[in-house]
Amino acid sequence: MPVQDESAALVALLRNGRRPWQLYANLVEEAGSAIAVLERECGEQASLFGDPMREQIARAAAEIEAWSAEGMRLLTVLDPGFPENLRGVHDRPPLVFAAGRLEPGDARSVAVVGARMASARGLGAARSIAEQLVARGFTVVSGLAAGIDTAAHTSALACGGRTVGVIGTGLRRSYPPENAALQRRIAGEGAVISQFWPDAPPSRRSFPMRNAVMSGLTLATVVVEASHTSGSRMQARLALAHGRPVFLVATLLEHDWAREFSRRPGTHVVARAEEITAIVERLTSTGELVA
Amino acid sequence: MPTVAELTGLYSNFMIGPRPGPDVCSQCFNFTDGFPRCYACTHGESWLDAVVPISYSVAREQLHHALAGYKRLDGEVARRLEVALAAVLWRYLAAHERCVARASGGERFELVTTVPSSDLARDERHPLRRVVGELCGPTRDRYERLLRRSGAAVPERAFSTEKFEPARTLDGHSVLLIDDTWTTGGNAQSAAAALRRAGAGRIAAVVIGRHLNREWRHNDRRLRELARPFDWGRCAVHGAPAGAAP
Repeated sequence: MPVQDESAALVALLRNGRRPWQLYANLVEEAGSAIAVLERECGEQASLFGDPMREQIARAAAEIEAWSAEGMRLLTVLDPGFPENLRGVHDRPPLVFAAGRLEPGDARSVAVVGARMASARGLGAARSIAEQLVARGFTVVSGLAAGIDTAAHTSALACGGRTVGVIGTGLRRSYPPENAALQRRIAGEGAVISQFWPDAPPSRRSFPMRNAVMSGLTLATVVVEASHTSGSRMQARLALAHGRPVFLVATLLEHDWAREFSRRPGTHVVARAEEITAIVERLTSTGELVA
Repeated sequence: MPTVAELTGLYSNFMIGPRPGPDVCSQCFNFTDGFPRCYACTHGESWLDAVVPISYSVAREQLHHALAGYKRLDGEVARRLEVALAAVLWRYLAAHERCVARASGGERFELVTTVPSSDLARDERHPLRRVVGELCGPTRDRYERLLRRSGAAVPERAFSTEKFEPARTLDGHSVLLIDDTWTTGGNAQSAAAALRRAGAGRIAAVVIGRHLNREWRHNDRRLRELARPFDWGRCAVHGAPAGAAP
């Protein structure tokens, strides 16, 4: 069975199936085939899959081709090009869409996130962290929002580094709309990733889901500036739940949530960008282990 | 090089330490409804002098994903999972190997080995051997591959005395048997039966994750009642008097 049919079978499964998406990621990975899972479900849930299976696969294959012509590449858990780090987290989506070019080196990446309404000090910190990450060969990943995210992305590009945006809508949309230009620029120079169907609008649930993918894509998450209610705080929690380190920029400790959070194992409070790269490099080296 | 304390700190956020109790299986720490043993342990074979799970591994949650992923994935992400699991085993055994030995009626273990894979082909490149035999400080000097998957046709999780073949005879040696996951205990018990046949003395199993489904009966509530983050100073058989085999 051609690989394209596996991708199409997965699209058909997600379009028609009733199970949570994460469960399909597990089922498909375990079976090593989306067609096998689709066959099983067509048998079990005949009413949901009214059309003959071949027809559904053909329809999904045509959709994938149209997305691809539009510059949106589909990567499923069965594709060798599916982001490696993302495979390591329990709540990975079964597929992501990529605009631009994801490179194997992007696995060496760190997420830099923070408030939309950021202070000059916060923006400066985001820029210097992105510069240091680029200097040490890391890809800078962020959420393409105003404020800290924009500072991290643009600073990475300005010093010739790689940057990847992870968004909470489908790739055809930008939220908020004023981020559209930056989104196009990052798709042109790095990559933009979305786990949602290309037309998906933003929703209350989509942003936390996006934060889980951003954490999963990266080796660590750095929170630069964030209030009690922010999505960045959510991402810090998700990163720890993935077993990935979290860095809090020291100035965050003025917030109660950050002081409480900094006591959790796996959290590092840092004053300098160099500390982040040194710790990430140490924690992710796989040769040996010391007491 | 990462330190054991740093890597295990990251896992403390989702590891859940089992504790003995009236509604907990006295062999494998599965949750029961007042029965001294769970269904599988009541009806299955018991060849182990102690079974000590480090954590519960809840289906589709992060520890479960790591325990499946270090075998199923390849590349750097799989190697990072391997190193992290080795760190978990290291920190736990450094603190609690004596508790485990006491629960099995002794003071220490002379040999350490791993439960082979149920699948013959997968057993040939089982990364658990690298975890226990190379990466994990407290076990690597005593590690020996004492068992291999035999050619006998035995279903994946089923118990059979023929499932594993001993590599050599043992002369009453005490053996610490390590596995990543305990579900029904079929594999670990089969491994213990084979070790016994080879002449082993005391045998205890330490498993990283005791597999559970959160949706099953009261498991969700029972899991939420257990302490978080994980307490490395305690273990499932902590403070058990010497010789108190379950």
